[in-house]
Amino acid sequence: MRRFRRSRGVAGIVVAGLIAIACGSPAGTPQASNPQASAPQASTPQASAPAPSEVSADLTFQFWIGGDADKKAWETVTAVAMADHPGIKITVKGNPWPTYWTRIGTQLASPTSPCIVGMQSLRLEAYADQLVPMDDLMAKYKVNPSDFDQSILNGLKHGGKQVALPYDFGPLIIFYNRDRFKAAGVAEPKPGWTLDDFKAAATALTTGGKFGFTTSSIDQEYLSWVLDLSGAEVLDAGGKLALTSPAFVDGYKQYVALMNSGITPPGSGGAAGYTGYLAMLSQFQDQTAAMYVDGPWMAISNKAVKFQLGMATMPAGAGGSKHYTAGSGFGISKQCATPEAAFQAIVSMTSDTALKGLASVGRAYPARPAVADAWYTAADIQGARETLEYADAHSVPLLTPPNWVEAAGYFDNYGFQALTGELTPEAALQTVQDQGSLGN
Amino acid sequence: MAIDTSAPSPTVSPTLRVGRRLRDDRRYALIFLGPSVLGLALFTLFPTVMALVMSLFNWPVFGNRTFVGLGNYARLLGDPIFRQVVLNTCLFVVLYVPLNVVVSLGLAAWVSPKIKGRSVFRILFFIPVMAPIVANAMVWRLMYQPGGLLDSVSQSVFGVATPSFLASSATAMLAIVVMSVWQGFGYNFLVFSTAMDQVPQEQLEAAAIDGANGIQRFRYVTLPMITPSIFFATTLTLITSFQVFAQPFLLTTGGPGNATQTLVLFVYNEGWRFLHMGLAAAAGWVLFVIIMGITAIQFLGQKRWVHYD
Repeated sequence: MRRFRRSRGVAGIVVAGLIAIACGSPAGTPQASNPQASAPQASTPQASAPAPSEVSADLTFQFWIGGDADKKAWETVTAVAMADHPGIKITVKGNPWPTYWTRIGTQLASPTSPCIVGMQSLRLEAYADQLVPMDDLMAKYKVNPSDFDQSILNGLKHGGKQVALPYDFGPLIIFYNRDRFKAAGVAEPKPGWTLDDFKAAATALTTGGKFGFTTSSIDQEYLSWVLDLSGAEVLDAGGKLALTSPAFVDGYKQYVALMNSGITPPGSGGAAGYTGYLAMLSQFQDQTAAMYVDGPWMAISNKAVKFQLGMATMPAGAGGSKHYTAGSGFGISKQCATPEAAFQAIVSMTSDTALKGLASVGRAYPARPAVADAWYTAADIQGARETLEYADAHSVPLLTPPNWVEAAGYFDNYGFQALTGELTPEAALQTVQDQGSLGN
Repeated sequence: MAIDTSAPSPTVSPTLRVGRRLRDDRRYALIFLGPSVLGLALFTLFPTVMALVMSLFNWPVFGNRTFVGLGNYARLLGDPIFRQVVLNTCLFVVLYVPLNVVVSLGLAAWVSPKIKGRSVFRILFFIPVMAPIVANAMVWRLMYQPGGLLDSVSQSVFGVATPSFLASSATAMLAIVVMSVWQGFGYNFLVFSTAMDQVPQEQLEAAAIDGANGIQRFRYVTLPMITPSIFFATTLTLITSFQVFAQPFLLTTGGPGNATQTLVLFVYNEGWRFLHMGLAAAAGWVLFVIIMGITAIQFLGQKRWVHYD
């Protein structure tokens, strides 16, 4: 029996380790990292949160949470709301990133749905019908939309209505290994560098079993490149999925060709989707690859690497510099019995105080430009400010159709086949376009 | 010591007493069966019927439900991806079930005689069954991936890199089958091993005296006597292998492309990720009918080869 117990114990440790690894999450998600988040405090008077109210409610806040440290950090955010509104009690609940999105749909449909839910701009459309439009509440509680970054505020709208208030955002940019650039004698990228500059750098950095760039089959990677290379977006003029439009096909073919031009490790990480994303991340962090595309929410966890980290804009393609903006916020479930209390809590959770707290421990690039300095100070990364400001000035919100969750799910797998050469880019796009609409 | 020797009350006839006992027995049986019947009705029958009802509707998690009759089934049958999903599942079953039975039967036969360290082997072979499948799958993923254990060993011994097993449509399903056999054979191994222990020694000895060699003794004495266990094991393995989910979900998420997407993974994706409950329920019923049909054939066929004496 002792042998059994020991083996199960070892297996338990392995599982715990794997869960810890799985805490990393792409696109608009803060990483489980710094437990010493700022101490809870009420919003300062100059912040936009309203004065303490007498409202009373017991709310649940459902979010993507990687572990105990992550949960503690979010509890400091809810603590701001509870300090603002002594009658409101908020319980933080969560699942790791991939699980969150397989559960939130049914949770939102259930009468016991959590009141406050985390929502990411790329996935908003699939769930937006279950979220309370906030425009009237924003007017009532004097929330000033211009206090927020406009691109992510628009990214969290559905049918012209605000259905979530953002806490973070960020243009998708390139993280690079400054040490590798120096060693190869390649000039570090400047904001607005061109596609030819990128190709030359990636080629020069591909040497001695190491590579200039790495990618994976998740949406934020290929969408950034397609926008960059041909200017095509996933929506047509009618707001429908348009993966087989000539411009998208052209951009995607160029992307696949670029990735297979020898500058990326072969095999595309050996896996599709989120697992492939983690493989890509580890290729960058273990210095196998010198550059990759991600959002500023990854800056702090990337800083843990053993080399100097740099941030650069996407290279300017034929149509000039273009960057997608993605980010996340908090929405209110339509099942919530106390939407006004939930809204007041969200206002506090996206206040200057709360976002400054998150930014000062580098967790989320704040959706309020007024407190961005706190993030830059905490991040302290070469080129961060110029890159993000330039990218933000050249950004477009990443708008997706309601069936994007399906399409992106299929794209994970078929896009991977396109990258490994098992499918032509055209065939992959056609299959995803067909399958993305199967259940609709 | 006072012994009660009084006769039963003359007013109660023996027939009546038997009848009352039967009634009492029935009452007790009902009391004891009640919870499990209720559980079965609540957690198995109701969801099964509910799934059938859902499969006839366009049933999004949010929004209006509309009756579509057999529309979901028609859509599934007309969908090339779903057809491939059914074929993938059948391919897994066809590869996994025989391999599992052969490996578990072979190893059970190997540890059947009283070899040294027999109990150690039994425990060793059963460990993969007990270990969490998530941990198993992750360890196998590390072995399969480029630069992983298999690749490194192959490079250092043969100087050749292995293909990226999980990244190629040609090898991904095979890789999943191999991992599944490793994970799952321990259960059948224990069933067979226990059954072989029940085979009377004198019959094996009699066969040996008659000149039967080891293989003949296994083929003509042991094997016929453990056919009920083989029937039990193959039936259960077949059912569970049609329901395979965790391995492709964890190792390949159904990819590359659609190469390892199985029926339950399809149901999971459509229902939980894409929130099309009607379509997921229809796919679930397709799986249910397939499993029912094949299990029925197995039960009908058992008369020919299973010996219960």
